[in-house]
Amino acid sequence: MKSALLPERGPGDRLTAIFWRRPRVLLLLLITPPLLWLGVVYIGSLAALLLQSFYSIDEFSGLVVREFTLKTYVELFRPANFDIIRRTLVMSASVTLASAVLAFPIAYYAARYATGRWKAVFYLGIMLPLWSSYLVKVYAWKLILAKEGIVTWVADGLGLGFLLDAALALPGVGGNSLSTSFLGTFLVFVYVWLPYMILPMQAALERVPKSMLEASADLGASSAQTFRTVILPLAMPGVIAGSIFTFSLTMGDYIIPQIVGTSARFIGLAVYQLQGTAGNLPLAAAFAVVPIIIMLIYLSLAKRAGAFDAL
Amino acid sequence: MTVAVEFASVSRHFGTVRAVDEVDLSIAEGTFFAMLGPSGSGKTTCLRLISGFEKPTHGAIRIFGQDVSNTPPNRRNVNTVFQDYALFPHLNVRENVGYGLMVKGVGRATRNARAEEMLALVKLDGFGERKPGQLSGGQRQRVALARALVNEPRVLLLDEPLGALDLKLREAMQDELKALQKRLGITFVFVTHDQTEALSMADRLAVFNHGKIAQIGTPSEIYAQPRTRFVADFVGSSNVLPPKLAQRLGAAPKWSSLRPEALRLTDTRTAALAGTVTGLRYLGAGTRVTVVVTGAELGVLVPTGSPLPEQGAEVGIVFDAADLHPMEEA
Repeated sequence: MKSALLPERGPGDRLTAIFWRRPRVLLLLLITPPLLWLGVVYIGSLAALLLQSFYSIDEFSGLVVREFTLKTYVELFRPANFDIIRRTLVMSASVTLASAVLAFPIAYYAARYATGRWKAVFYLGIMLPLWSSYLVKVYAWKLILAKEGIVTWVADGLGLGFLLDAALALPGVGGNSLSTSFLGTFLVFVYVWLPYMILPMQAALERVPKSMLEASADLGASSAQTFRTVILPLAMPGVIAGSIFTFSLTMGDYIIPQIVGTSARFIGLAVYQLQGTAGNLPLAAAFAVVPIIIMLIYLSLAKRAGAFDAL
Repeated sequence: MTVAVEFASVSRHFGTVRAVDEVDLSIAEGTFFAMLGPSGSGKTTCLRLISGFEKPTHGAIRIFGQDVSNTPPNRRNVNTVFQDYALFPHLNVRENVGYGLMVKGVGRATRNARAEEMLALVKLDGFGERKPGQLSGGQRQRVALARALVNEPRVLLLDEPLGALDLKLREAMQDELKALQKRLGITFVFVTHDQTEALSMADRLAVFNHGKIAQIGTPSEIYAQPRTRFVADFVGSSNVLPPKLAQRLGAAPKWSSLRPEALRLTDTRTAALAGTVTGLRYLGAGTRVTVVVTGAELGVLVPTGSPLPEQGAEVGIVFDAADLHPMEEA
């Protein structure tokens, strides 16, 4: 007669038995390394940064004074510094808004209509730009947007050069050419971060069952009403997730504004310069805290507006 | 009699598949109409044609005499209770129920009052503040019902609404739905694959098979006089007798149906039919005895309390000749 138990085959089976008897051991083994990494390396360095921002720099010696003070934060509100923050904020918000508007139809199509091969084409189309180097893409855009670049050439060829000129003549955002204007910086930001908006949006839209949209129409809603009262609220967590990416990535980036755009600085660039050549680590840290605070404000506002109700 | 829903040779093709194939149908106002059939038989597509989520490939659909071929779902005075209920997760129960009124521009106060009224109708008073996620399956089903009824539709469509409920709850809901329909007088069109559900609830029912209607009639007509072998087989668990056997039993040489409860077991000498018992299935109120006779396998329903034969025993079968029902089609 066969035994009720199967023979133990070796250490693998013994380990399985331990995990079966004590499920917490496996959990502990799995999460300890990432928790350590997150706690020490990530949160730890963030805390160190936060600490730095409460120090100040001695104006004569250029040395960091290790005493708690809010002087450095006050420094942020000096017109020159505050301009940087405002500029970054406006740029991040515009990039996020434009990305959301551009991403929605793409994500909606992918979630609702694309099947099989078209779905693969969609993912490839979204992911492919992420495979090539970010620097290469940005430099490519510099050439595309340059005065002698493709955009100007196409616009002239189509007889639409006046439109381009009109856009460049806009006060504040225009400039000599697209590659040396805020408009150009904006375009490149939108291009580079768009996939980070599309993917979470698509995931959120995919979770909205078709019957929900049918129910809305069945109850008498027009397409616009269904969009406003069902699709948008249900896609909101995805939109917020995407906007966290586009918003914080734009706020922290210091490469794109250096390559495409004017010489005006953004927060990322300010941090980069302050901690490097200027050696003003406390101010760099204070600048770095700004995006964190803005993100926290943004998320709490989103939460209050009910953006996470559908989660 | 007013006709609520009318199909004039309606077809709906998906590529080469004829989901609905030349269906003619007319549903009188105020009836509880069931569409019964196995999955893929076209019953749900018919329902979606009425609500407007599918467009007919050929033919015309009229709702209360009006051709709706070019009317989108939101402009049809018809509401649906979806199979998965499709409640909006981000809205609470009251907002869900009031949704149809909201999109029609009814003010908040009226809307809420009407929603509460409807919730009372489906016995969910006091649940208005909850989110659909906090409700049980049966409660969600009631919310879906209230959400549809608040719009006072002329036809209410129900797509297997009881499928996800457990047996006890399903039976209670069957009675409630039936009572609600009688009270409101609205035409209900009910899709189901459960024959007992269709028989017990409907005033009239259509049995679907391969995109066509195999038979339309009252439940008792369909149960007692199935028109085809498919109907006999699908509705209940009738015995289907081949023409030769029917002829031997003194009927016309046609495929015939014979209900298991119309048969009685006796001993072999007095009976017209004799066979061997090959199976016994206890059903609670009775036992279904399978008897193999020459040329066919017959199910006999023996009420609980009557003596049961042994497995393998030789038994005789008697029945009233009037119960042997010849069918029009094979």
